[in-house]
Amino acid sequence: MNWPFDTVLVANRGEIAVRILRTVQALGLKGAVVYHAADAKSPAVALADEALPITGETPVAAYLDAAQIIAAARQAGAGAIHPGYGFLSENADFARAVEAAGIAFVGPTPEQIELMGDKVRARAHVEKAGFPVAPSAIEDDDPASFVERARQVPFPILIKPAAGGGGKGMRVVRDPAQLEQEIERARSEGQRYFGDGRLYVERYIENPRHIEVQVMGDAHGQVVHVFERECSVQRRFQKIIEETPSPALDPALREKICETAAGIARSIGYRNAGTVEFIFGQGGEFYFLETNTRLQVEHPVTEQITGIDLVEVQLKVAAGEPLPFRQEDIGKRGHAIEFRIYAEDAASGFTPTTGPVLMLRPPQGEGLRLDAGIREGQTVSAAFDPMLAKLVVTGADRSEACERADAALRDLVLLGCQTNIGFLRRVLNHPAFAAGEVHTGFLDAHPELAADPDLPAATRERLLAAAAAMTRPLRDIADTVPDLHAAMGSWRN
Amino acid sequence: MQHAFKIKDSEHAVGLSRSEDGYRLHLGERSLNFRLQAGEAGDLVLHCGNTVDHLRVAVDGDDVWIHIDGETHCLRFEHALQRLAELNETAGADVIKAAMPGSLVSLGVAAGDSVRKGQTLLVMESMKMETTIVAPRDGVVAEVRLEPGQTFDKDAVLLSLEPVAAE
Repeated sequence: MNWPFDTVLVANRGEIAVRILRTVQALGLKGAVVYHAADAKSPAVALADEALPITGETPVAAYLDAAQIIAAARQAGAGAIHPGYGFLSENADFARAVEAAGIAFVGPTPEQIELMGDKVRARAHVEKAGFPVAPSAIEDDDPASFVERARQVPFPILIKPAAGGGGKGMRVVRDPAQLEQEIERARSEGQRYFGDGRLYVERYIENPRHIEVQVMGDAHGQVVHVFERECSVQRRFQKIIEETPSPALDPALREKICETAAGIARSIGYRNAGTVEFIFGQGGEFYFLETNTRLQVEHPVTEQITGIDLVEVQLKVAAGEPLPFRQEDIGKRGHAIEFRIYAEDAASGFTPTTGPVLMLRPPQGEGLRLDAGIREGQTVSAAFDPMLAKLVVTGADRSEACERADAALRDLVLLGCQTNIGFLRRVLNHPAFAAGEVHTGFLDAHPELAADPDLPAATRERLLAAAAAMTRPLRDIADTVPDLHAAMGSWRN
Repeated sequence: MQHAFKIKDSEHAVGLSRSEDGYRLHLGERSLNFRLQAGEAGDLVLHCGNTVDHLRVAVDGDDVWIHIDGETHCLRFEHALQRLAELNETAGADVIKAAMPGSLVSLGVAAGDSVRKGQTLLVMESMKMETTIVAPRDGVVAEVRLEPGQTFDKDAVLLSLEPVAAE
């Protein structure tokens, strides 16, 4: 095809920058990327045809600096900017500034971002369009009576920032006596993270599943769904394992939830890639949660079972092309599961960890895809989100995918920084996960999964043996001191 | 005092000597012979008794990272002299360290300020949550190491209090 642009700038970092650059380059286009000095050694910078430095008071601030990024796009001669996820991807002002600069924004229109990015407006729109939403109270409707109205929503309830996302500032309240205090905390967090302290509360559905649907629209009014993803395994409201198809859906329910999502997207003439998220109750009822107006972290599982390169379609839509398929052309085959590899210590409450990447060995085998944003020699710092890579495993069915995943997590080696790999493997092998019976409270209900397993004595001895032989002062003693002294543990001589 | 390795929070004193064709590990009364050789795929092969393990190992200063049986472990080497020195150190509540990596949101105090036990010293952000750090005791702020917005690693010193004068 004839592209209206020959260079695409990726305004992101880490694994998603690498993933977008690969498709850009495979399409015969040039891929440019912006980077902060902290990412100078990253694989995205190495892969890009051109890498343009940006600066900021903090590393994150650099990637949020719209003016610098647009200037970098001009410098690289980029005719399109792909924002990835996070950072500026759901910032309507950025999308508007990009288009005002005569550059195509790879995403929805600024108006669509504004509507769907404001959870309160989005919810009102969805309800008005006739789609299901959960019982709620919205502060903006009448701020003076918000606390009173919140009290009327059946408890337990969930407080959310109106401008929020990613679980930030969300609080579950079970005791009405705690309501006002929790509202104040959520407001403070919302203010700090989003510069917006407005809130809303909704009924908290116990042990729900999180099911979302990939949608894709073009600038010519066509909208399709690309099936669902189940993302119920979450810690602190953040997804860590995602899969498709969802084990909870039969074909009729799948059709219903996917068509609902496509209907919501169609109701606003949605353009480019988006995800409609639902909360799915144990009884099969589902309610609209929110729409993410961007490519999702977990998009690869959809790609694995449909054979569709979502970034390629995004770029075509941004180039003004119609969608390359109709709904009936989209099929799926097999089962795919994504595991998010985080630099964190599961045993101490999933606290982030830092350290150098001394060794990274991807697993080998059929049906494996590792989208990694790090490489050996890089350092994992506290400056960014602790997600390092995504392991995506595909099999003919769910049990084959699980088997392959177990071997892949066993063989994936990352040394120098503590990760959640062992924890992910314990979750995978839990009977409830194997049976496909998980919900968003699954990890809270099974804290033993996060705890460090006991180290068998035989393993501990072998670890100590290897470590001793790798440690200079110990080896020096062994190589120079007769056996008897070493056995006494004497360093005095 | 022997050399030791720390695995998580447990300390294991070890000694190492030569054996006929490799090394001998000494763990208290117990000892075991082993050989550690370079493998073909960049791994290390550990022969220990009747077992053979393929390990991935990386050393970073005193940290030895080992991948074995599908799990990764970090063993921190503790030199015998260092262990001896630490015995004499008294742990005080004079230094506020970061329990996890994060960034500083706001400071409630400056160097020289008198604080009461329980008073807010600073607010930090980690794991996308705010945490308030309060004074562990009455005292005077000796030093503040960070400015709002700055990020820090686990165990970084955030703030210190003037030591309590010995009575």
